[in-house]
Amino acid sequence: MRARRGQAVLAAVLFVLGLLIVVQLRAQSGSAGLQQLSSQDLTTLIANLNTRNGQLRTEVNRLETQLRDLESASRRGESNAGDLRLELRRLRLWAGVEPVRGRGVRVRFDGPITADAVNDVIDELRSAGAEALALEEVRIVPGSVVGGNPGGLSVEDTPLPERFVLAAIGDPTNLTSVLVRPGGVVARIQATDAEVGIDVEPAEALALPATRRTLLPANGRPRV
Amino acid sequence: MTALLARLRAIPSWQVTLGLALLALGFLIAVQLRAEAPRARYSSQERPPLLETVEQLQRTQEGLQAQILELRRRIQQREEAAAGADRLVAELNRQLREARLAAALVELVGPGVVVELEDSAHSVPPGAARQDYLVSANDVRDMVNEVWLAGAEAVSVNGERVGVTTAFTDVGTSVIVNGRYLQPPYVISALGPADLYDRLAESAGFARFLRQRAEAFGIVVGVARSAEVVVAPYAGNISLIELRAVPTPTPSIGP
Repeated sequence: MRARRGQAVLAAVLFVLGLLIVVQLRAQSGSAGLQQLSSQDLTTLIANLNTRNGQLRTEVNRLETQLRDLESASRRGESNAGDLRLELRRLRLWAGVEPVRGRGVRVRFDGPITADAVNDVIDELRSAGAEALALEEVRIVPGSVVGGNPGGLSVEDTPLPERFVLAAIGDPTNLTSVLVRPGGVVARIQATDAEVGIDVEPAEALALPATRRTLLPANGRPRV
Repeated sequence: MTALLARLRAIPSWQVTLGLALLALGFLIAVQLRAEAPRARYSSQERPPLLETVEQLQRTQEGLQAQILELRRRIQQREEAAAGADRLVAELNRQLREARLAAALVELVGPGVVVELEDSAHSVPPGAARQDYLVSANDVRDMVNEVWLAGAEAVSVNGERVGVTTAFTDVGTSVIVNGRYLQPPYVISALGPADLYDRLAESAGFARFLRQRAEAFGIVVGVARSAEVVVAPYAGNISLIELRAVPTPTPSIGP
């Protein structure tokens, strides 16, 4: 009799044990990362995701139109050389293999700024929607990394002078306000290094050179 | 002594099993409570709907990215189908293939390295900043920059291609790349020359990263050489709102 009651207790304990193991395993998988975010961070993340999804949706619409145009041209038996030329031009401008111009923002650096700080400003401008960037005469493309020590920075083996300009094409108001807002990247850099001068001004006409890098992979091949 | 052994033997086996099960139960309850503790800090009425919204937006994003890749594939197919005997169209298509490679729109495979970054397993000492023990956007960017400097030709992070407009930003303790929320471990896939691994391992910047992040805070850094690194294509938007071509004839640039 005692043994039977014992078995019942054992069964109950094992049941709860199993339940807890499952709960624990499920808690450890899933979006553990999200669980670490505060409500405020989650709200910021939602705003970011909304903006990004809006951009992606615009891209989907643009691509759908492009595909429809190509299909109707081919149905009419027309050459699509014109569409191809436009597409080629777009990609080459965006990728950095052609010089570009446009409105944007000019950022003048003066003083012993760190490479990290310049990379921070570049990242901030990219998140704010910069479409093209150049440091002095060097177009910033994937792989253009600012390196070196304060006072002796360089990008793509090109030394930067003591005072140098970062130019970014994009909405001038947007790009300017993102950089100079209270608590923004410029304030942050100047708070840690008062000797660094950063001057941000909107620009109506910027001209950026093409990259000197070859952006075609020498070691990789397209995956089919 | 023998009396004690005899008494131990007299304990029914189910009691031993029950004892062990209760021990495990206690352990699991403790683990569960500890895991709940930091979450309780943020627990409030608004949290569950916020989490749900984030997860839903992430699913939407994945869907949109897949749609973009599929549309780009179909456009390319359509453009190349028209080439036929037309030499001009064939030449334009050849140039387009190059432009797509330059614009990071093509999935690539080749030799390279894979670097993995993971949050520290060390417990945070009292008074220290918890942030220092987590992989930040800055860490991911630093490591991506190190692989570029070592000679990488193409890089992606957790399947997000590092393109011309790619930014690395933090939201709280999380890393955003190409507007996508990434979770650790951060896997940096870099394609490049056969000696990319050696160049990275010997670089001063990589050594500094190990010293400042791995040794000091326990950030986990793993590097592996691979003959078949796959680098994802850029699945984001290409916006040319302010960008204009320089009127032809193209002025000469550089020396």
